[in-house]
Amino acid sequence: MPSSFPIQMSAPATGPLRPDLMDPRTLAALGRLEVISRWLVDGVLNGLHRSPKKGFSVEFAEHRSYQPGDDLRFMDWKVAARADKWLIKQYEEETNLRATIVLDVSKSMDWASTPTLLTKRQYAEQVVAALSLLLLRQRDAVGLIRFDDQIRSAIKPASRQLQFTRLVAALGESAGGPASDAGSALRQAAQAVKRRGMVVLVSDLLLDPQDVDDAVRVLRAQGHDVTVLHILDPAERSFELGVGESLFVDTEGGESLAATPAEVRDAYVETVNEAMAEWRARLSASGAVYEPILTTEPFGVPLRRAFARRQRLP
Amino acid sequence: MNFLAPWALLLAVVAAVPLLLHLLRRRTGDRVDFPALRYLLRAEREHAREVRLRNLLLLLVRIAMVLAIAGALARPVGPFPGIGHPPTALAIVLDNSASSAAVVGGSTILEAQKRAARAVLAAASDADRLALVTMDGEVRSGSPEALEAALDALRPIDGAGDLAAALRRAEAAVAAAALPESRVVMLTDGQRSAIAVLAADSGAVERSLYVAPGERPMNRGIASVRLEPPYWNPRGAVRAQLIGDSVAWRVAIAGRSVARGRSTDGVVLARVQDLPRGWHAGSVELDADDYRGDDQRHFAVHVGDAPGLTADAASPFLREAVATLVTSGRARTGGQVFIGSALRARRPAVLFAPSDPLEVAAANRALSRAGVPWQFGLRREGPAPLRGASLDGATATRWFALTPLNGARADTIARVGSDAWAVAGDDYVLVASAADAEATDLTVRAAFVPWIDLLVSERLGAAEGRALEVAAAVRVTVPTGVDALEYPDGERRPVTAASQITAPTAAGVYFWRRGAARVGALVVNAEARESELAAMPADSVAAALGAPRAESTPESLARAAFAAGGRRALDTPLLLLALVLVVAESWLARRGHAARSAD
Repeated sequence: MPSSFPIQMSAPATGPLRPDLMDPRTLAALGRLEVISRWLVDGVLNGLHRSPKKGFSVEFAEHRSYQPGDDLRFMDWKVAARADKWLIKQYEEETNLRATIVLDVSKSMDWASTPTLLTKRQYAEQVVAALSLLLLRQRDAVGLIRFDDQIRSAIKPASRQLQFTRLVAALGESAGGPASDAGSALRQAAQAVKRRGMVVLVSDLLLDPQDVDDAVRVLRAQGHDVTVLHILDPAERSFELGVGESLFVDTEGGESLAATPAEVRDAYVETVNEAMAEWRARLSASGAVYEPILTTEPFGVPLRRAFARRQRLP
Repeated sequence: MNFLAPWALLLAVVAAVPLLLHLLRRRTGDRVDFPALRYLLRAEREHAREVRLRNLLLLLVRIAMVLAIAGALARPVGPFPGIGHPPTALAIVLDNSASSAAVVGGSTILEAQKRAARAVLAAASDADRLALVTMDGEVRSGSPEALEAALDALRPIDGAGDLAAALRRAEAAVAAAALPESRVVMLTDGQRSAIAVLAADSGAVERSLYVAPGERPMNRGIASVRLEPPYWNPRGAVRAQLIGDSVAWRVAIAGRSVARGRSTDGVVLARVQDLPRGWHAGSVELDADDYRGDDQRHFAVHVGDAPGLTADAASPFLREAVATLVTSGRARTGGQVFIGSALRARRPAVLFAPSDPLEVAAANRALSRAGVPWQFGLRREGPAPLRGASLDGATATRWFALTPLNGARADTIARVGSDAWAVAGDDYVLVASAADAEATDLTVRAAFVPWIDLLVSERLGAAEGRALEVAAAVRVTVPTGVDALEYPDGERRPVTAASQITAPTAAGVYFWRRGAARVGALVVNAEARESELAAMPADSVAAALGAPRAESTPESLARAAFAAGGRRALDTPLLLLALVLVVAESWLARRGHAARSAD
């Protein structure tokens, strides 16, 4: 059963608030990871106007209240005739999809440009938890690999009821190594998921592109569907840091550079755009999906993008 | 450039602030963790040149901004092009000496100087006070238009003029104008012979100089004309010294040619006779060349009867001299001119001191009786050389000091040591030595007879007055008894005897008149040195005339003439410049932001 969203009571008259569309910082302050994940999943599923799957392989799961816009094909006319209640039948898919989420927990992820924003890691963990829950609700098997300069956690894909609890617990483990070794993590994911499945890499992509590219090609060769969520702090896109001339220090390598943001902003933005275009081109060439996500975007955005890929899979 | 508040220039040190910030900024600032440093490094690497260029430009603009503000606060006053000039007292000294008539490049030097002067006048404003000073000493003042008209009418004078005096007059003229800015503009042909004689003088007023450019022409002309003898009775000869050889010449007297020929040795000798008695104007003329100023030289000749002389029987030297003059036709015997000892003084006479010192008192009494206002004084002994015309190195062994009495007016025509040896009044000549070989060896020299002839001719009325040769525009004293000056065209201009007048600026023969009679002549000719047309290097001319440099074009002269006058308070332009720099700095600093917003 989906938990009720606490702010729903104070929602404006235009309709209830959608947690998946709320400001991430505001939402994150409302509760623990797993609770918020449930709200998000509810929000995402409520936003979908039809079930993720239908057909012979889909089993009835529960009823919910009809909402304007719902497909009338799924109206339970029997109940409507018998009890004069307008209910929509919801189904759960029986599936054997195995998904592995690969989360970058290196030190560079543990950074926010201002205290009012979630760090990239906080944001990514919330996305991972919600996505896991969403997939588990689909009865998919979900696994998790956390890495920095080494593999920090590795949970094999499973669709058991306790899997979500294990995943949330793993997300709370410490990390923050001084580097990222995505190649190893992705290769381990390939080993963990023997059958064709889904691999979602959540990272700020401050990685060696060639290393990632090689690992993605291996995964694609094994028949995996690969989605890369590129988590970016807004300041990493715009270089709007609110500081003058400063000494900028790499959080991982310790390298530094003195610069005045106003002077190099144009060049920096141009460079970031080029880098993102390079990632997109490189991953597209490997058959992977590349989705840049800002930490100020509602959690629903990355969830929908990642889940959209799932919906296209058998 | 001057500063009214120079202490404000200390603020210029503030310009070091942006410089220091620029130099030190890499070592200052906060430390900021930034995971995407790789992108920043890549951007810096790929755009470092553009960023450095912009930074450097910003640095320069900021330093210039500070300097402009500091400069404005210092209230500078200096030249500023394009804003005119303040009221300026400006005097143009135009060297229209005879040599300016030389033709260079198809026109005369004077025309080139006029063009330069017109350029200066064209650059003048109504608030300026202008004057034009020429070599004849005339100072013309007025509007630019009036002075341009004066320029049009200006002709070369027949003489060197007085450049130093012209400069003094020009400085006096600009000083009288009492304007804050003043300048003297000199325009000259840079003639070496004229400039070299000037004493170096930078003057009290800033000077600008224009030296007419161009190669000076080769010149042939008449260096001098001499009459032999000075007064004709009635025959004589004209001898001229020429510059250049193989020159065709002509001698004219009283308007008609009396001789002509071609000189191959640079000398002209024309013997003349059968002229009417009296004063005549004459000239020696050459074919024209590029400098006409010395192609004609004037002279005045007096034709009269030989003077009648009476020699002192007591002096054998004087008796022989008079006899020689009579024999040669230069004198007659038994005339009224007495030549002898002062003991028998009368007038007209050439009077010598007595041989015996004991007779000095008697001689002085005789001088008093004859109305000669001089006395013999103490006896002096030599030998000592005599200095004067036609004395040919003679010496005096004994002589008496000549002491003037009240009212004595006489010319000293010979000296011995610091004493006057011979003085000449209206109709007497008094000599300090006795006419014997023990007192002076002049009596036994060949020069003695011609000297006596000269004294009789020039000083004792053999001729009606004398001919005085001068250069144009010099000051001359009007001879005693003269009441008018007759010009070559016959016009008579009244003069006051014994006063000073300025000689006419045109060459020619001018006769002194006493009533209807000509009693002498004023001959105006250019100085011989005016024939030396060679120019001094322009820089040397500038140094000699106290100018910072010599301009060679009318335009550059006009700029230089009002260059100092073009000084203005520059604080406002500097503040405007600072404002422009502020805008530029702001634009540069925000350019990146604006460009990004536009994207």
